[in-house]
Amino acid sequence: MAVTERLQHRAEQLAAALPPLLVASERVAATIAQGVHGRRRVGLGETFWQFRRYQPGDPVRMIDWRQSAKTQAVFVRETEWEAAQSIWLWRDASPSMHYRSRKDLQDKSEHADMLVLALASLLIAAGENVALLGTGHLPTSGRMAYNRFCHAVLAEVTETEGLPAIELLPRHGHVVWVGDLLAPLDDIKARMAAYVSRGVHGHLVQVLDPAEETLPFKGRIRFQGLEGEAPTLIGRTDTVREEYAERMTTHQAGLKDLARIFGWSYAVHRTDRPPQTALLALYMALARIAGS
Amino acid sequence: MLALGPIAFASPWILLALALLPILWRILRVIPPAPRQLRFPAIRLLYDLRQQEQTPAKTPWWLILLRVILATLIILGLAHPLLNPSGRLPGSGPMVVVVDDGWAAARDWPQRQRTLADLVDRAERDQRPVFLVTTSAQTGETPARATGPLRAAEARGAAQALLPKPWGTNRKATLAAVERLPIQGSAHAMWLADGLDDPDAKALAERLQRFGSLTVIQDGPRALPRVLRPPERRAGDLVAVAERVDPSGEERRWVRALGTDGRLIAREPLVFADGENRATSRFNLPTELRNDIARLDIEDETTTGAVVLLDERWRRRPVGIVSTTGFDASQPLLDAHHYLDRALSPFSEVRRGGATDLLKRELAVLALPDVGQMAPNDRDAVDSWLKDGGVVLRFAGPLLAGGGDDLVPVRLRRGDRALGGALSWAKPLPLAQFDPGSPFHGLSVPPDVLVSRQVLAEPALDLGDKTWARLVDGTPIVTAEKRGQGWLILVHTTSNAEWSNLALSGLFVEMLQRIVGLSRGIAGSSGDAALPPLETLDAFGRRSAPPPGVLSLPRGGVDATVGPHVPPGYYGNDLARVALNMSSDLKALAPLDRLPSGVLHGAYVGAREVDLRPWLMTAALLIGLADVLIGLALRGLLPIGQGAAAAMLALAVFVAVPRAEAQSFGQTPSFSQMPRAQVQRAPTSGADAFAMSAALQNKLAFVRTGNAQLDEVSRAGLQGLAGVLVRRTSVELIEPMAVDIEADELAFFPLIYWPITPEQPLPSSQAIGRLNIYLRNGGTILFDTRDQADIPTEVGGGGPGAQRLRQLVRGLEVPPLAPVPPDHVLTKAFYLLQDFPGRFAGGTVWVERREGSSEVSPVIIGSNDWAGAWAVGPNGRPLFAVVPGGKPQREMAFRFGVNLMMYALTGNYKADQVHVPAILERLGQ
Repeated sequence: MAVTERLQHRAEQLAAALPPLLVASERVAATIAQGVHGRRRVGLGETFWQFRRYQPGDPVRMIDWRQSAKTQAVFVRETEWEAAQSIWLWRDASPSMHYRSRKDLQDKSEHADMLVLALASLLIAAGENVALLGTGHLPTSGRMAYNRFCHAVLAEVTETEGLPAIELLPRHGHVVWVGDLLAPLDDIKARMAAYVSRGVHGHLVQVLDPAEETLPFKGRIRFQGLEGEAPTLIGRTDTVREEYAERMTTHQAGLKDLARIFGWSYAVHRTDRPPQTALLALYMALARIAGS
Repeated sequence: MLALGPIAFASPWILLALALLPILWRILRVIPPAPRQLRFPAIRLLYDLRQQEQTPAKTPWWLILLRVILATLIILGLAHPLLNPSGRLPGSGPMVVVVDDGWAAARDWPQRQRTLADLVDRAERDQRPVFLVTTSAQTGETPARATGPLRAAEARGAAQALLPKPWGTNRKATLAAVERLPIQGSAHAMWLADGLDDPDAKALAERLQRFGSLTVIQDGPRALPRVLRPPERRAGDLVAVAERVDPSGEERRWVRALGTDGRLIAREPLVFADGENRATSRFNLPTELRNDIARLDIEDETTTGAVVLLDERWRRRPVGIVSTTGFDASQPLLDAHHYLDRALSPFSEVRRGGATDLLKRELAVLALPDVGQMAPNDRDAVDSWLKDGGVVLRFAGPLLAGGGDDLVPVRLRRGDRALGGALSWAKPLPLAQFDPGSPFHGLSVPPDVLVSRQVLAEPALDLGDKTWARLVDGTPIVTAEKRGQGWLILVHTTSNAEWSNLALSGLFVEMLQRIVGLSRGIAGSSGDAALPPLETLDAFGRRSAPPPGVLSLPRGGVDATVGPHVPPGYYGNDLARVALNMSSDLKALAPLDRLPSGVLHGAYVGAREVDLRPWLMTAALLIGLADVLIGLALRGLLPIGQGAAAAMLALAVFVAVPRAEAQSFGQTPSFSQMPRAQVQRAPTSGADAFAMSAALQNKLAFVRTGNAQLDEVSRAGLQGLAGVLVRRTSVELIEPMAVDIEADELAFFPLIYWPITPEQPLPSSQAIGRLNIYLRNGGTILFDTRDQADIPTEVGGGGPGAQRLRQLVRGLEVPPLAPVPPDHVLTKAFYLLQDFPGRFAGGTVWVERREGSSEVSPVIIGSNDWAGAWAVGPNGRPLFAVVPGGKPQREMAFRFGVNLMMYALTGNYKADQVHVPAILERLGQ
């Protein structure tokens, strides 16, 4: 009894927190769904795709009798190819994601959550199986799967590491990593290699605050990390801006190289841009892989 | 002391530190500002950038400037700058400060004290001892005081404790005190003079000058105090005289009369004309109000010289003259009241009437000129009033001589004694000098006052004690007896010139004044006891409890001179008090201008020395606070940007600007500054709303009967009539209005239509009253009984409406009525009509029966139910059929309505004969 009540209470709490983010992510997803349609291929599925003249060899039960009765010829009903993929999504929940450089921006974590949720919404609508990496859930499909996914994303989990833990995933699975990916390149490479070794395809989405790309500060500043890094004092921040930008470019180039080596995709999303762009790119990448 | 124009520095060597400011500037530029704290996720990418140049970011220039200003302010503040420095005192040796602290100094005492404090400050800076000499004695002390030598701190305390005294200065005693000062060598003397001259002023100035040098500080003669002398009574008014020293220029002031409780009774202008140093203001008030006046003062004048306390001597005492016959205006000189009236009215209020009537009001003296036997109830009333403290003054005459009552102080012989008649060898006798025990003592007896006839007292043992005045042969001519609290006085001769010429003499007036003065008030204080101080005035003219050391006034001490032992104020007890005023024996004021040559002059006005150190230090503190805030903001520890920090800097600088020191010394608020009684705006009530809607445009009105259906008919009828009036005539009407005669104001309506129903409630008496007012002021009411019955003249007849009408109008001022005569204005006000049909035809219409009257009949009564005929529905069709019927009848009904409205609005000028020819012509005759 008490357990039920507690669950209920927790569910209500979650429900109270859900709507704004869910609505936002659904809205983001809706704009994408208008632009992308199905697999556009004949295959196994439930959605009607086309009528085709009966050809010898077609199974008789594929004949659409109603359509055939309207004309002289006999027609076969073909459905759109719908193959369910299993996709594990991950978003960075470490403290470094809770950052914004200006008041009019949103936290990086908020953008990451939104991207993941919207992507999940899209994938589930397309019939894929989706799970949040790190929770141990099996990828499932359907509305209930989305709900469970939402709960998993919105549960207040704080990771200390900016990279996903190594999990044994089935072969030919897909992973999507959304995070700031500011960890050293070697760490990222090791982690990716662990997944790739099991034949897992992946997609990297780097979510960055604009300040992290441009370093727009001036003057004498003592920088402090968000994950317990040692502070550092820069005498004149404006003088190191170019060098910093160079380093960031190097880092991103490294990530890009890693993605290319392992056959993953890589995209950068800045929090001052609308999330639709990133989502579209991500979805296209997923669709291409799923379709290939 | 370093002086730079109006600013001087008391510790100028600290200014050397200003040379360090450029060094400070350099140092501040070299020291980097504290780093901002910033959280940054991509910190790992920043780690190895340390090899970059470490040239620190510069502190912004404006922040350095702010800090340099801060340092400058602190240095300047420590140097102790003074605005308007007073400079050094002249001369050397100790400073002798002579302070006039008489009443005249109270006028601007705070200024004097500031000047004194400044002097003490300067003496302190020069480290010179101070001798403080005051020219007025302390309360209860005789000599003026000199204290010293004092150190500056002691002198400051003594100066702050100084208060002006409510009496004058005694410069002779001051001179003696100055002589005794233990001063060797030279000294500098400062005399804070009150600006008034006296015989010893010059000697004092010369003595002070002999110390070394003398500075006399005084204001010009215009700033000297004004003096208000005790008022005189002239022809029943109080006339107050005020004086000033400088006669040039016109000056307008006010004299206030205040009651015992401090409330303002009257306020009269006081205008000093150009070239005059005297001005008068006259108070003409009802006796009761005048007797309430306890104090006169000149408004906004803060010395006791401008305050006059009033006591019984200024009260007008009402005197009643018992007069049963009335005033015989044809032969006033023979009248017994005439001389009394003339003698009393300059200083008393005289009333005439029966004794009982007179005693109903407050009265001081009751005069009975030659009354023989009084009516018993009058006599009892007079007797009881007498025993309660009244003064009854009787005069003899033929009636009293013929037989009096017992309301006389001595037993009288019947008959009178004639002196110097045709059959007598005795001559008329003059009055003897008054005895010392008599209230008349001191009055001079003119030798030509002769008494030729008098009534005689029976000899008795106490006759001598009761006698206040005698003839030269010793016969009592005025006797008196104390009865209860009051006095019964008999003058043994007449109050007119019949028996003696006493009534023609000035002595008569003076005797009457003394007698009136005996009445309550003075009578109570006529004992031998000294008068203890009751309430005294201080130098500012404020009432206070008497300070210790004040002596009692001796008996008759009204003429005592104000001094340290007897400050001005009230003496006596609560029942009888005597006012002692300072201005009553003040000599004429003269300005202090006869000073020896070589005296330095100064004035009280002038820029005060202002110490700028606290202001500078406050500014430095504020800038320091601003610096801290800006520092925090620059390090990112405040949630604001740089723009806000700059704004805060501006704010800090603005706040730090020293503001002018507000000066407000205890000015006693004058009555002119007091808020007057606030006129409260009544909230717009329902009555107001009714008046607004009723008054803005002409409209017809009908009385709300309580019968909704009937009211609706009335409304529709008047609406129909209004439509006809607007169409056919120049009368502009809007929607008719229902009025409630119990509540609504009727004055707005020229005509009120009042349909009668048998069940209508009777109006209340208030409503009747208001209807009467309405009718009296030109309103017209059309009563409509609506029962088609003739209203007969005799009581009891008529239809139910007529009967109810009779009950309704009971109490209403209905004039005599008559059927409308054929030539009445109603028949020709607009249309020519002879009958006045409504729904019904034929009923008689009654109007006021008045021949040649030029007024509108206030009441018109009929039974034809006109509203029914006028009533039109919303579609413009009539609501009711007319009986017997036909369009002509309805048209005639409307014509009656038009005539009626014209009659009510324009009056009856149509009755004028001027129109007769035109009307005859139209009638074709």
